[in-house]
Amino acid sequence: MKIRSIVVYWLFILVPTLAVAVAMVRLLTLERDRIVQQASSVALDRAKSIADALQVTVETVEANLGDALREIPPDRVLETLQGWQENNPLVRNVFIWRSGTGLVYPQRDRSGTVEEKQFVLRYHALFSGRQQWPGADGSSSETRSSASQDLPGRTAVPGLAPQQDSRQSFVQEMQRLQTGAQQLANLARPKIEKSGQRAVAAYASPDSGGWIPWFAENRLYILGWVGSRSTGWVYGLELEVVTLLSQLVAHFPATAPEGLAYALVDGQGQVVHQTGNPPQEKGRKPALGVSLSPQLPHWQVVVHTTGNRPGTESARAFLILGCMLVAIFVLAVGLGGSMLTRQAHRNMKDALQKTSFVSNVSHEFKTPLTTIRMYAELLSEGRIKDPEKGRHYLNVIAEESRRLTRMVNNVLDFSRLEQGRKTYRIEDLDLAECVRHILEVHRLRVQEAGMALETEIPDAAVCVRADRDAMDQVVLNLVDNAVKYAAAGAELRLILRQHGDHAEMRVSDRGPGIPASHRSRVFEKFHRVDDSLTAQQQGCGLGLNIARRIMGDLGGDVLYEPRDGGGSTFIVRVPIRASETCGPDRA
Amino acid sequence: MRETVRFRAFMRVALILITTTVLVSTAVAAARDMPVTCRIETDRDVLPTGGPQKVVLKVTLDAAPVEATKRTSVNLSLVLDRSGSMAGVKLEKAIEAAVQALRRLGPKDIFSVVIFDHEVETIVPAQSASNTESIERRIRGIRSRGSTGLFAGVSQSAAEVRKNLSGKFVHRIILLSDGIANVGPSSPDDLGRLGRALLKEDITVTTVGVGMDYNEDLMTRLAQNSDGNSYFVESGANIPRIFSSELGDVLSVAAKKVRIIIECPKGVRPVRIIGREGRIKAEHVELSMHQLYGGQKKFALVEVEVPEGTEGQVTEIASARVSYENPFTGDTGSLTSPAKATFSGDTERVKKSVNIAVERDYQLNLNALSQERAVALSDEGKTREAIRELQGATLRLREVGKRINDAALLEKAAEMERQSSQIEREGMTAKDRKVLQTDGFQLRNQQLNR
Repeated sequence: MKIRSIVVYWLFILVPTLAVAVAMVRLLTLERDRIVQQASSVALDRAKSIADALQVTVETVEANLGDALREIPPDRVLETLQGWQENNPLVRNVFIWRSGTGLVYPQRDRSGTVEEKQFVLRYHALFSGRQQWPGADGSSSETRSSASQDLPGRTAVPGLAPQQDSRQSFVQEMQRLQTGAQQLANLARPKIEKSGQRAVAAYASPDSGGWIPWFAENRLYILGWVGSRSTGWVYGLELEVVTLLSQLVAHFPATAPEGLAYALVDGQGQVVHQTGNPPQEKGRKPALGVSLSPQLPHWQVVVHTTGNRPGTESARAFLILGCMLVAIFVLAVGLGGSMLTRQAHRNMKDALQKTSFVSNVSHEFKTPLTTIRMYAELLSEGRIKDPEKGRHYLNVIAEESRRLTRMVNNVLDFSRLEQGRKTYRIEDLDLAECVRHILEVHRLRVQEAGMALETEIPDAAVCVRADRDAMDQVVLNLVDNAVKYAAAGAELRLILRQHGDHAEMRVSDRGPGIPASHRSRVFEKFHRVDDSLTAQQQGCGLGLNIARRIMGDLGGDVLYEPRDGGGSTFIVRVPIRASETCGPDRA
Repeated sequence: MRETVRFRAFMRVALILITTTVLVSTAVAAARDMPVTCRIETDRDVLPTGGPQKVVLKVTLDAAPVEATKRTSVNLSLVLDRSGSMAGVKLEKAIEAAVQALRRLGPKDIFSVVIFDHEVETIVPAQSASNTESIERRIRGIRSRGSTGLFAGVSQSAAEVRKNLSGKFVHRIILLSDGIANVGPSSPDDLGRLGRALLKEDITVTTVGVGMDYNEDLMTRLAQNSDGNSYFVESGANIPRIFSSELGDVLSVAAKKVRIIIECPKGVRPVRIIGREGRIKAEHVELSMHQLYGGQKKFALVEVEVPEGTEGQVTEIASARVSYENPFTGDTGSLTSPAKATFSGDTERVKKSVNIAVERDYQLNLNALSQERAVALSDEGKTREAIRELQGATLRLREVGKRINDAALLEKAAEMERQSSQIEREGMTAKDRKVLQTDGFQLRNQQLNR
């Protein structure tokens, strides 16, 4: 298979794969940004929801207290207000004021408490008449009395998180806030004892009122009032902001989503309450802020990011997971492609080897067959008169037939080995005797090839457990190999030795040896150092492969090593049988 | 005839005995049914004739001991500071104390635990104190971390108490902290107002300051305005004892929503209330105490100005009207007690008529106010003036102590002298400040330290 073809195949696989991968990574990045953006939007929506809930709660408190102020029987105003001041935690101070007269209650004498004196001082501008009551000039400042219908729980909760769990927990948090709002709304409906008496004209029918956020000593105070434009009476109360905060804080969401912190911040930027772990660095600005005006001017619900922007962690996890999937995709395509290419390459190589094998085998078969046919024709035509010559021809025919048989046997063995159908008749065997016998049979052929056969075979039995025919086949293949390729070296040495738990037979020649680049593949099937049809020596590249596979089946091995001084050495290792005597199994 | 006389005599004795028994039984029963008694005294029974003069009134409320088996159910919420500085013995002891408090409660009581650092967590929502094993496990799992969000902690605890805000419970929050509140409203004024607002909801906050770093102004103001107790413990080891003492109070509430009105006859003018908050109106003084504990005496001191009198004139100085709620029955009760004095030109008689107990309490309360002023002066950097204030108070105590021959006042004078000398040598340490502030508060509050 040509390199160019492989490159082309790879390009066909890789280019679209990488293009898809790049597109996927791009989409993942966009999706990550979208997640971060969505998380920010959810955080903002939540902060808005919290701010809305707080605003509506304060509004409800103000509306209920405003309604209660209006409902005070005119003849019980002072008594009722004093009762509220004493018993209602939402009421810090109460007052009665009249245009022209000024403050009627609390009195500025010694009966007032320190708190009342501070209260009077705090609103001096208002009580002294320097500052007009908002709306007292005729403009409306009526407090909406229907605010109680807009309790936080009844408002829609916008911008819910995509995750169900998160949404549920948020809804629970909002319900918690709603509970607080309800409690505050109840507190803001103080008891009013009805009067059976006729209304006192002085306080009759308040026709204006409202709430004034009042800043003194850098603090927020909230004053609620009702008044009558016709009579000039104004009375009302100062809201206890601490109670309001205490209840709001107790019902503020107890947890914040991961990576976020919510905080309620007052007009001075001081944190009133927080949920989560806001960053400690001073001056660090919040990621988001929602104003609570007009009920709590300059107050905000802010969202801090702790560490990263909201959603960054999930977005990063998403991107990492996505990239891993893309990498797996690219890897899978690459791996599959390379396996397919490799398989194709191997199949093609096998096809080429088989073609070469068929050609070689045909050629191998053709040579002895031609010789046999030629001598047989000469003999059959009776043209050979010399009986000696005739015998020689017959011997040649016989020899070529044996050669042909060996070749056929090799092909058959290979076929059996390939199909896993090769069977062995395992027996106790004296390897020394077996090798001596084989060499005896083939000594003449070796000598005829011009090679001197030297042997070192121990006289003592070398007991192995093997198949005699298989061992014959292995030795014959190695000897044939030497005769075929190393005859020019004129030397064939066979040494049999016992090494520990195995017998080692070394078949060495002085032939050209095997080039280093072929040594690792010399035992592969069909492999030949020169497999061209024009090679000097014919062969089908099966001998060594068969020898190694047989020895492998018998628990041994065949190895190659270059011989010092030139040539090759093939080493056959056969496991020794732990027995003093060899021969067929004895009972 | 003699037998008839004997029989009549016997019948007379029997009748007297039966009547006496019935009367005594009725009196005992009445005393038993009356959990609170009231007594109003003046610092002198005999007043010198002459121009208008100042008289000290002491209204004492005496609560009868509460039987252990007959007590009001408690709605107790513990607020524990788990900020980083509490790590170690302090938190361990706080946990131990919380567990002990839990074990002293019964199934009819409500128990909750809130912990706070920069965040607030309700680890035990309000529930019956019968489920002790699971509650104890959660308490023992508390670990320290973060900073101090005290306002939110108390607010959350109050929210837990509000879940059972009915009249049948004594509602109590016990706050334990060793740090300076640094998240949320954290001025003594803010927390004081929170305490006042909680008191309006019938919730009392007791504060336990641990170590040298907590803000004693904040802790005492919160306790004072909610009519709770305040404690200063130098080391964590004392926390369980303090909790035990506090729980003893909570479990023995004898009267609730106590209101005292001291009415003065025409001519007698209320001048000031010593050591308590209250309202002075034209001819009467209004005071309130949230709870009285069994076996406890609480009093209020008021200065009034009495007009000129003539020799032998007996005049009514004031009368005290006390109303309260019986925590067991929910009924309200009321008591009245008058205070009278005689005018005399005999200086010796006037001198001898001094009520030592009233004079002692008056002087000790004035001393507590002096201590608070000394702390305020020291905070302003006026250490010299602070020492002078303490020394002045010491001299006054010693002078009065000698005059009325009272060992307690002399002993207090000696203690004050030691204290002012030490402050003169070393300046006002954090510990001095805490001791002065907490002692002063405890004295004015007549806090029982069992």
